Amino acid sequence: MKDSASRNIIALSTTALALPGIALADAPPTQSTISYKLSNYQEDDLSRSETPFGDLERYDIDVHQFQLVSPLGRNMSLHVDANYESLSGASPWYTSRSLDGEPIVNLSGASGISDRRTELSIGSRYYLENGSFGGNIGYSEEDDYRAIYFGFNTEKHYNNDLTTVSAGLSYSSDKVFPTDAALFNRVEEDDKQSSSLFVSVSQIINQVSSFQSALSFTEQSGFLSDPYKLRDFRPDDKTQIAWSNSYRRFFVSANAALHVNYRYYHDDFGISSHTSDLSWHQNLGRTFQIVPTLRYYNQSAAEFFTNVDDFLNPISEYQSSDYRLSAFGAVSGGFSVIADMNSWKITLTAERYLANDKYSAYDVSLPSTALVKYNRISLGIDFRF
Amino acid sequence: MNPTPKHFSFKAMGSFCEIQLFDESRIRVKNVVNQLAEEVARLEKKYSRFREDSFLTEINSSAGNKLGLAIDDETQSLFDHALNCFEQSDGLFDITAGALNKIWDFKKALVPSQAQIDVARAHVGLNKLSCKDSHIHLPRDMQIDFGGIVKEYAADSVARLARSLGVEHGLVNLGGDFSVIGSQPGNKPWAVGISSPVSESGVMAKIELNDGGLASSGDYERFFMHEGKRYSHILNPMTGWPSNGLRAVSIAANLCSVAGSAATIAMLKDESEAKAWLEDSGLACVYMDSEEKIGSAGLNSKN
Repeated sequence: MKDSASRNIIALSTTALALPGIALADAPPTQSTISYKLSNYQEDDLSRSETPFGDLERYDIDVHQFQLVSPLGRNMSLHVDANYESLSGASPWYTSRSLDGEPIVNLSGASGISDRRTELSIGSRYYLENGSFGGNIGYSEEDDYRAIYFGFNTEKHYNNDLTTVSAGLSYSSDKVFPTDAALFNRVEEDDKQSSSLFVSVSQIINQVSSFQSALSFTEQSGFLSDPYKLRDFRPDDKTQIAWSNSYRRFFVSANAALHVNYRYYHDDFGISSHTSDLSWHQNLGRTFQIVPTLRYYNQSAAEFFTNVDDFLNPISEYQSSDYRLSAFGAVSGGFSVIADMNSWKITLTAERYLANDKYSAYDVSLPSTALVKYNRISLGIDFRF
Repeated sequence: MNPTPKHFSFKAMGSFCEIQLFDESRIRVKNVVNQLAEEVARLEKKYSRFREDSFLTEINSSAGNKLGLAIDDETQSLFDHALNCFEQSDGLFDITAGALNKIWDFKKALVPSQAQIDVARAHVGLNKLSCKDSHIHLPRDMQIDFGGIVKEYAADSVARLARSLGVEHGLVNLGGDFSVIGSQPGNKPWAVGISSPVSESGVMAKIELNDGGLASSGDYERFFMHEGKRYSHILNPMTGWPSNGLRAVSIAANLCSVAGSAATIAMLKDESEAKAWLEDSGLACVYMDSEEKIGSAGLNSKN
């Protein structure tokens, strides 16, 4: 009798806990959210010693991001994303050697570059009892670039929702048509394709901590070079693998959460990288949260990276002086202040990023002179209704 | 400034509802309470038996429809829970018992004939319908009544929503179905008074809650006397006759939904069986038996 009555109660708890208003499972949004985020990304200008001629001003990018998430019937949600970027400044055109033998950067065009990027993506998600699946389709256009992409992903909960497995794939078809192609002997038009696949497992360890690990593969093929660089010739196939891990722990007494992330990346251009970041999400009362973040990034160089463009090399031989293919390290620090009122949420973030060949743990035989330092400031506003 | 309790009350699900939250700002609490009241209104609109436009009415109108009716996840979960209650109580707790309520007219205080009861009982039995994979097939002349399930679920759902909105200390009372969010500040438990079915303003006991929920079931004012016999409004779906068990029971559990299901099951059991079942359930409870004696189980002696 004793066993049977208490067994009855335990059995009743199992279905009661599965009720959607009680369970912590995935559920479609019950409210709509409109978000707007304005970010400004500004690279530090180069010094005259690094760039003897031309513009010193590098990229200055303003990004406007709009997002709408809205319930669609009982089990679905709709996601609309629209981005607009305006970019001005200059980017490294070619590198050469100064009179004393040091590599120097030559930035593109005296009047610099200005470009706009517009992107629209629409997606939808369908929520099931134990998971959800969704897809999206998007279009992005610049003066010299166009991409059409789509993706599909699904997630399922196991083990009383303590374990979530998700997987997805995406495909993008891009077209490059550089401006002033004839004038500068650039490629007139070319294309590239990317296919990506990911799997991820997240596990709630206990009431205050969780862990997530994800693996992704990306295969790119087609025109992978930079058409604006004078001497840039890269393989037309690239396989990338990335392994991302994140651990989160909430400290009840401090009313704060620690997030630790680590990511390993490798591609067959020869680049390996490690990214580690640490952030502390401190709640202050019910309305405010402050989040200091620290990140360290470190990568090896691509096999064909050169810090001084070799104009004697035949153009059939792989080479690039793109600083993003050099060995370097980067540290960045950021700080966010979040105010979450009932229907409004405002996020203000500032970040400082410093890349330097001296920060790299990898062997830097060819340091790039074009490594960036930048500031990023963003203001985000979410409105729920 | 220390947070102080802010009280709000409203009427929903045919009951007096009350929400008490601790906060410094009444304006902020009001915003939260508005959202919580909306959740109650949403569930009432969806599952009320008395609303023409409710989803439950749509389900009940589908009775006899060979194609059945598609239901959403939330409704499927409620059916899963109802079926679990049915199985755990060996058929006593049955959301299809509505047909019996129609022949027992408590206002006119009439006892139906056994023939009437037998006819009605043919349309009762949760095991006669199929509800799985988000699809329900309700046989002809059968009706669903989520009484004893939805209000309790609403109390839990509102408490969960309040937590997600940042509430740390609060009490939700939907017509006697309680769900609390944490304790009162300073680890002080919430004291819920259990009113006596026999005296109008009397409190027969007090149950302290630090978390979880509390629900009550009883025949309170809803019974009638006929030829010297007392007929409770709580009908046993297995016999079609009013149950002759406890007069009232209040139970505390990890969720109001669990407490409510357990209270309904306890009320439907025969008196001595109910007492033993409650004692063995391990839940904190207070009850009044047919001789108006108050008993309890699982409570600290100070209560």
